[in-house]
Amino acid sequence: MNRIVKFYHEMGSPPSFYRITQHWLMPMLLLALGLTAYGLIEGLFFAPKDYQQGDSYRIIFVHVPAAWMSMFIYAIIGICGIITFVWRMKVAEAVMMASVPIGALFTAVTLLTGMLWGKPMWGTYWDWDARMTSQLILLFLYIGVAGMYAAYEEDPRKAARLAALVAIIGLVNLPIIRYSVYWWTSIHQTSSITLTGGSEGIHSWDMLRPLLVMALATKFYYIYSMLTRAHTYLLKTEAKKQWVAQAVSKKSGAKP
Amino acid sequence: MMPFWALFKRDVLVAWRRKANVYQPLVFQLLIVTMFPLGLGAGAATLTKIAPAVVWILALLSTLITLENIFKDDYEDGSLAVYALSGMNLPLAVISKAAAHWCTTGIPVILFAPVIGMLLHLPTHAYAVLLLSLTIATPIFSLLGTVGSALIMNIKSGGMLLSVLIMPLLAPVLIFGAGAVLETALSNSASTHLMLLSGSLVLCLTLAPLAAAAAIKINLE
Repeated sequence: MNRIVKFYHEMGSPPSFYRITQHWLMPMLLLALGLTAYGLIEGLFFAPKDYQQGDSYRIIFVHVPAAWMSMFIYAIIGICGIITFVWRMKVAEAVMMASVPIGALFTAVTLLTGMLWGKPMWGTYWDWDARMTSQLILLFLYIGVAGMYAAYEEDPRKAARLAALVAIIGLVNLPIIRYSVYWWTSIHQTSSITLTGGSEGIHSWDMLRPLLVMALATKFYYIYSMLTRAHTYLLKTEAKKQWVAQAVSKKSGAKP
Repeated sequence: MMPFWALFKRDVLVAWRRKANVYQPLVFQLLIVTMFPLGLGAGAATLTKIAPAVVWILALLSTLITLENIFKDDYEDGSLAVYALSGMNLPLAVISKAAAHWCTTGIPVILFAPVIGMLLHLPTHAYAVLLLSLTIATPIFSLLGTVGSALIMNIKSGGMLLSVLIMPLLAPVLIFGAGAVLETALSNSASTHLMLLSGSLVLCLTLAPLAAAAAIKINLE
């Protein structure tokens, strides 16, 4: 069999997913920590000052990567939701539910750092501006998926499929919400980074580098945290299966 | 089409027999609207300014409190399982449920909106657009309500969860609907808002029954 196809099938089965991804945890954590340390030190101490905002802009190195992750993780939840709903794949379920708290956390971090940034720049912690509002609604979407799952404690598989349905509905609605909310555009600065390179705010490589490093670091942190949670999820929902007994005894060093 | 009408007639009749279903949202609106002048001061200028938004939000909230029960009773007494087992087209059944809900909740809310508008000194020229926007939007409430209700029908006190689930979906509807009335009150054209609102209705009419039917199927498993 083709190696990629084989890998794909292996990732679909909880025991081999658990076995394979267990070796990824340490490298992911180290990468996340290392890159965060580099990105924050470079961004907070060595990157040049912004010509308008001075040092206050430095919160961008936390704010923007967190905002990117909040959207990125919801997209993953939506995709895993579709897989869960259509093919009932257990690993997709685990990845979906494992991603929800992390995504909600990144959304909350985006909102909090945005508020802290808003106070010195706009003179207010909160303003009902389009981006802030749609970010807040995104947080509600995360809470909805988590709440739906939590409401069905006695039957986790059913809960996961209902949560998947909520995630899919949210995915369809996300663009509608974002565009409708943009109807009242106001004080939020437009994106500092564009793919075409027409960047207004971020104009030097010395500023961009720590930002991209931080974006990578958050991705690695996400993979680490998501895998840890997915492992726990699988161990919990598959607790009566043979492979769980083996995996646990191997970890604790005892005979099954 | 026969089961569609049978279900529709039954639901309207059941709702009509329990009159509380019909007047509960209206009493709710009346209670809340009294609080606005009490809290804000009775000045006509202040009230006129907030009237478009308040009338709209009240219509939305008073519908929200009725949504939980769209499927709950049918699920609990087992008739929902009968619909599914009898081979009835489930999305069509959902549309029928939504239509019955609209007739017993949506229409009274539309008819009551001018009263609320009057109490809040809504500008006279805004009434037509208010009625039009609510006529387009209340079916959206009912349709999205079937999705929310189908998701939580198995949960004991799911009202809070229902609000969390459908608030993000209702946000665009509120922006377009209340926006239309606000623009009219400010003597601007509301046609863009109304067109987007109609678009939302078409989208909900096509997608919401499918989503609700999927949720029913999972819950009945």
